[in-house]
Amino acid sequence: MSYYLQLLLNGVIAGAVYALFAVGLTLVYGVFRFINFAHAELISWGAYLALMFSSPPVSLPLYLAVIPAIVLTAVIGLSQDWFIYRPLRRGSPITLLIASIGLSYMLRNVLRLIWGSDLMTFSLPPARAFEFSGYYVTGIQLLMLASALLFLMILYLLLTKSLIGKSLRATADNLELAAIMGVSMPKVSAVVWTLASVFAAAGGILLALDTNLEPMMGGANLIKAFAAVLLGGAGNVWGALLGGLFIGIAENLSVAFFSPGYKDFVSFAVIFLLLLFRPRGIFGLLTGVR
Amino acid sequence: MMCVFLLCTGPLSAAEVKVGSNTPLSGKLSVYGEGFQQAMLLALEEVNAGGGIKGRPMQIVFEDNNSTAAGAVSAIQKLITVDKLPLIFGPAASSNFLAVCPIAQQNKTVLIAAESAAAEISKCGSFVFRVFPSDALQGIGVAELTQSLKYDQVVLTYINNDWGVGLAEIFKKKFTAAGGKILDEFAHDEGKTDYRSEVLRIRKSNPKAVVNLTYIKEGATVLKQAYENGLKVQWLMGSASKSPKLVELAGEAAEGVIGTYPTFSQETPQYKAFKAAWDKKYPDKKIPVFGEYNYDMVKLTAKALGMAKSMDPDDLRQAMIDAGKGYMGVTGDKTFDENGDVGAVYGRWTVKQQEIQDFK
Amino acid sequence: MDYLLHVMILALIYSVFAMSLNLELGYAGLYNFGHVAFFGIGAYVSALLSQAGVPVSAAMLCALAAAGIAGALLAVPALRVSGDYFGIATLVFAEMFRLVCLNERWLTKGPMGLPGIPRPAWIAPGVDGMPAYLLFTFLAAVGTFVFIRRLTGSPFGRALRVIREDEHMAQAFGKNILLFKVKAIVAGSVLAGWAGTLWAHYISYISPADFTLTETMLVLLCVVLGGRGTNWGPVVGAIAVVFFGEAVRFLPIPQALTRYVAPLQGIIYGGILVVIMMKMPNGLIPEHRRKNA
Repeated sequence: MSYYLQLLLNGVIAGAVYALFAVGLTLVYGVFRFINFAHAELISWGAYLALMFSSPPVSLPLYLAVIPAIVLTAVIGLSQDWFIYRPLRRGSPITLLIASIGLSYMLRNVLRLIWGSDLMTFSLPPARAFEFSGYYVTGIQLLMLASALLFLMILYLLLTKSLIGKSLRATADNLELAAIMGVSMPKVSAVVWTLASVFAAAGGILLALDTNLEPMMGGANLIKAFAAVLLGGAGNVWGALLGGLFIGIAENLSVAFFSPGYKDFVSFAVIFLLLLFRPRGIFGLLTGVR
Repeated sequence: MMCVFLLCTGPLSAAEVKVGSNTPLSGKLSVYGEGFQQAMLLALEEVNAGGGIKGRPMQIVFEDNNSTAAGAVSAIQKLITVDKLPLIFGPAASSNFLAVCPIAQQNKTVLIAAESAAAEISKCGSFVFRVFPSDALQGIGVAELTQSLKYDQVVLTYINNDWGVGLAEIFKKKFTAAGGKILDEFAHDEGKTDYRSEVLRIRKSNPKAVVNLTYIKEGATVLKQAYENGLKVQWLMGSASKSPKLVELAGEAAEGVIGTYPTFSQETPQYKAFKAAWDKKYPDKKIPVFGEYNYDMVKLTAKALGMAKSMDPDDLRQAMIDAGKGYMGVTGDKTFDENGDVGAVYGRWTVKQQEIQDFK
Repeated sequence: MDYLLHVMILALIYSVFAMSLNLELGYAGLYNFGHVAFFGIGAYVSALLSQAGVPVSAAMLCALAAAGIAGALLAVPALRVSGDYFGIATLVFAEMFRLVCLNERWLTKGPMGLPGIPRPAWIAPGVDGMPAYLLFTFLAAVGTFVFIRRLTGSPFGRALRVIREDEHMAQAFGKNILLFKVKAIVAGSVLAGWAGTLWAHYISYISPADFTLTETMLVLLCVVLGGRGTNWGPVVGAIAVVFFGEAVRFLPIPQALTRYVAPLQGIIYGGILVVIMMKMPNGLIPEHRRKNA
């Protein structure tokens, strides 16, 4: 029994990070109606930039290094929109999708150019996990959980209490109407991309702290994030959160029954089945950012 | 540009004797590939300083295989079809090597390995040789180590590629034949960043010892995550994990690991000469893993090329066999058996006080 | 000279692959991002059967059938969704295929792959067989080209184009849209499987690492670069991409910089995709609208 509960615990923590990724992805989809493949690179770049700032010559302590890392990732995210997606917005959605695939491949290779394809780490010494009556949680895993909760809390306040948050939700509901009513599209755009990038970078750094860094780390998690987005219904922020948790738990529990090599298969299967049978998601939402 | 390039190829048209090298200069094995290249170049320099091959300088044409099997196939095709080289130093990883064996055998190109250990390679064919011992021997070594430490029930995990799968098979056979019991066994994938599911699975069987046959990065990650999750077992590993990098990546978690590796004495005159030459050419660099094998490979090849009656495939092949008889390289006796394999003695290593030491 | 043969064979194989994707993407407007799975199915089925002793020609035919059946099996459920969701569904399908190949070691030897795949009986192994193989792939490419031209010139092809442009209009004309789309996907899958078998028997070694998202991106690049909706487009695109990829080997790059080559190539490929989408989404060869429909 304790075997399954430990898996469940690992799943919840992994799910919290997937939720971060999924929320960013779903925000972009909710407002702009396209799936940004390059979101994967926002995750990887966040982590690698943190590595860069915490290594020589800059050598900031890690908790400080994350700040410029996240800021720069937001710059990357905003540039993606400004230079490439914005001009293409009037075109067909497929053009945007292909462009995002190309951009993702490009950014990933810039990463490989600079840091190589090898695994890298933050070089933290291994630390024993905390034990609670037979269950193990490491300090980093607790940090992941806490950070995810913090970020999501801030997002909730932003979306419900602030003016920009309300503008965002209005835009997601109806792009043209929001513009007519005077909601500033560039402003909403900037906020969405910043939020998506910040969340992606934060999640990427947490992931790298927990395991290692490698150029495909974003891509591997993008699919899971997308599965979570679909579960929750595209554009539904709370759905993405729950979706992320579900994927994390399902993945980890699956290891008890199938070979660990099939762990990723879970998210793929979820996506495939959902697209076929319930494209609106379990929480069946129609449109908009909720 | 391409035409000019093509005019210059062909081992007999120029004054040099050329051989090819299918090397991981980029990709995930590039950090080792660099070391192999350095060792090969050191040997090459010595060969040419000593008069080359019957007065002609020897040259190695390096072709990058990107550390992948597809890359290795592409590289060997270029070396065979464009450069028309009759002898090639094969790619590093066993899987990559196995991918190109059939091509070399079909084209009657002599293919030599300095790092590939998979037992499968013994079946590659008459044109394939290696100066590195087959894992058929190491599997026995690991089983003996496990038994000598009185562990008769272990969990077995191994990296999911030719090297790991082959070595695990041999270990299993020997271990169970001697009465050992394998509580659980499973493969783990290469290059993953998270092996916690695997660690949990190991814990489920509650073993005292785990035989973990894997590479350096994967090994370090498993050790680290096991340590973090409070899994306390005796880790028994193979030669592929024996590296200071393992300790660097895993830190405290690597303490106490015991493993096997093919040893060679560091007291022989050959080794001492090699070390002196290395320190002279590369003063700031440590001898890379497999460096000695690469060096021996080039030196032995030079001897064979000098002995060969001609550059015909069969003559070259025979020369390789003849050159190996009783050849004492840096890494020991390089006599080839009927499969093109060499013998080995297996020693034991351990990690003590964050350093790799011999285990007594 | 022989290396030139090698690169030409690769370019021809890729042009068959690209033409097959173009049938679905360019003509039918179906964004099949999982197309590489059928390439892989063709390759694996043919390789496994011929290694088990089945004569290569028979193995190839079985592989084509397998790819077609798989295409039908994917098409029927996947076509429930459209546009970018269809793209994702197919992409995920390809990844699932790859994971199965990676894990089912008893069948596919997992990450170790299948070495030593034999050539067809009438082609010699090794370098000697290359001119014959070149002829073989050339005929295959020509055959594919002619087949697709016939198909797209036929009423079936015209119906596909109508469906691509405006589904509602097509429905108004009483066409069974689903059936047309399924047929297009099956045809595309069989041809992709064909390219896969050509690849497997030439390279003589395949592994799941040959069928990843990168290959999907490469074939997409071929189609997009050359121009969707024309038959020459993907051929031109495939030749350009393959030649560029291999030509890099001949550049005199100093040893210290070789590790930068692959990422730089990747940046260029990705960059080209982006630029094409922004500047000329119809690729190098635009589709012509014939004056007399």
